[in-house]
Amino acid sequence: MGDRLLEAHGITRRYGRVEALAPIDLGIDRGERIALTGPNGAGKTTLLTMLAGVGAPDAGVITWTGESAGAVGWVPQKPALYPRLTVRENLRLFAGLEGTDDADATAGGLIARADLGEFADRRAGALSTGTLQRLNLAIALAGSPALLLLDEPTGTLSPDQRVRLWAWMDDLVTTDRMALVFSTQSMDEAARNADRVLVLAGGRLLHDGPAGDMDEAAFMQLVGDPA
Amino acid sequence: MRALRSGALLFRKDLRVLVRSRGLLAVLIGYPIVIAILLAIALSGGDRRPGVAFVNLDAASGRTVQVGDERLSVDDYATRLEDDVDLVRLDPAQAEEALAAGRVSAVLTVPKGFIADLQSGLKPPVLQLATNPRSPIEAQAIERNLESAVFRLNQALATAYVAQVLNLVDLIQGGGTVGIFGRSGTLLGLNESSTELARVQAQLRRDGREALANRLDPLRDYISGVGENLELAKPAAQAIASPIKLEISEGAPGREPLSALGIAGALVVGIGLVGVLLAAALLSAEREDHVLSRLGRGLAGPGTIIAQKAVLAALACAVVGFVLLGVVALSTSVSVGRWLLWLPALLLAGLASGAFGLLIGALARETRTALLAGLMIALPLAVISLIPGNDIAYWASALAGFGPAARTFQGLLVDPEVTSSTYSGMGILAVVALVYGVAARVALGRRMHA
Repeated sequence: MGDRLLEAHGITRRYGRVEALAPIDLGIDRGERIALTGPNGAGKTTLLTMLAGVGAPDAGVITWTGESAGAVGWVPQKPALYPRLTVRENLRLFAGLEGTDDADATAGGLIARADLGEFADRRAGALSTGTLQRLNLAIALAGSPALLLLDEPTGTLSPDQRVRLWAWMDDLVTTDRMALVFSTQSMDEAARNADRVLVLAGGRLLHDGPAGDMDEAAFMQLVGDPA
Repeated sequence: MRALRSGALLFRKDLRVLVRSRGLLAVLIGYPIVIAILLAIALSGGDRRPGVAFVNLDAASGRTVQVGDERLSVDDYATRLEDDVDLVRLDPAQAEEALAAGRVSAVLTVPKGFIADLQSGLKPPVLQLATNPRSPIEAQAIERNLESAVFRLNQALATAYVAQVLNLVDLIQGGGTVGIFGRSGTLLGLNESSTELARVQAQLRRDGREALANRLDPLRDYISGVGENLELAKPAAQAIASPIKLEISEGAPGREPLSALGIAGALVVGIGLVGVLLAAALLSAEREDHVLSRLGRGLAGPGTIIAQKAVLAALACAVVGFVLLGVVALSTSVSVGRWLLWLPALLLAGLASGAFGLLIGALARETRTALLAGLMIALPLAVISLIPGNDIAYWASALAGFGPAARTFQGLLVDPEVTSSTYSGMGILAVVALVYGVAARVALGRRMHA
């Protein structure tokens, strides 16, 4: 077991009569890359929002360990930013909201790291989808997170944009020892970019194991053929 | 401290977004200001006079009554009233139908015997006014206008009547030909009667009938006393003709004045729309930009977001309010000088309407829905708040703070001293702001953490 960052025990969530998450236990280590997969409505986004602190679980506890307690970067599926602000203004605003001492310097660093230099003074609403997603991700890094949670980050990206994004993610993991948890509909993407794969279906955690143990055939066997 | 810093950052962001969204800014601030100014002009229109049906039932209306220098017929009366209202001459059935259909706001009837009563001076002639209860504002205006017209005419007639009485007093004292209230004849007069009595007494004394002459002394004393008392009665009669005189002096030639109702209406509609629409749009835009989930993980709580946007809406309302008051101060002769009280009044009105808009923004799924809902709810409530003297309208419009705002603004414009009702209006605005602010915070919290 590596350097443990977070542990979740028995977390559940209901939306009315629908059980979105059955009791789930989960541990996340620093520098770990975890893919969260499963059919639509499996509870992937719900689990991510619970871990991000956006929503509170109905039951169970999420415990942080070490100095990075609560340092989460949250990348929602749709870019969560202000289209009428420029790239720099968005980053400066969220750096300020994260409580960084020098929001200007943080924004400048993120612009360089996300390769957004040529778009820095352009309004976010005028960016292409791929560039917008880079900004979406850069905003999530404004608080120097130890854990980055991404909800289907490549869903709208072209193949070349996906390659660039995963290269950047690799850099974050190797350089900063950041932990990644991302949801995806693609087993191929999960196998290629994760160390560990979690399979959720109907709010239940059906599988938690090394990425090499899970392929499409195993996945279909696990969740069943909807047809 | 963190919440304050987050609120300040979001406040600055909202300002920047607003400045860059010129179309939205024009809709959110320009449109309410234009509507407010148009409403002020419409509510203040100085030459707008109510229509009144005029029904003449007096068969003798063609006759002219002479009262001193005043010559009066029913037609003269109607002509004088037309200075204050627009008269439409109709028969009773037509008038009743026109009132029911709302084509006129009232029916003024000259009843049978009006001229006879006026001529006799024994019984005051009566005019009958029927107003339409469905048009309370017009009815009040007509009542005021006709009361004013009747008062002016009564004053002129009273002066003429008293002049006639004083002529009669002169006749009683000096003698002459009498022609008043339809009667005529010749009077000897007190002065001549006293002289005649003196002659009779002298003749009796010359005839040695001293005792009989002395018996006339009390009669001469009585005549003398009556004459002196009548002399004293003249100024008293003058005073009865006009117990209180109103001296009117015209001020400097004025610019077209707006009424207090018009200005208050403009402020309520302007501030109401700006507060509701701006707050609703700002909050629903956060949702449309998908940032609520990002903010909701500890960067800015729902309370911070609601407070920050409520303050922004209140400040925008205060700016719009002062712009409108500045227009009033520069272009009319209405005094709006209580600037220190206007500031809290405008801020509280802005907070109340802003909090109401925030609740709409928290409940709506997108900005367009929020704006449409805000407009559809706020505009009628703002207009309802301008109906004077109607408690139901007041409390209905108080749901969004408009009723108390309208009363507070009118109080600041017309009350000679600031009364407790002005302060209680501000208190109600604060309560409305608090209630909607808390409701909006709860609704937003559920959205953020759903």
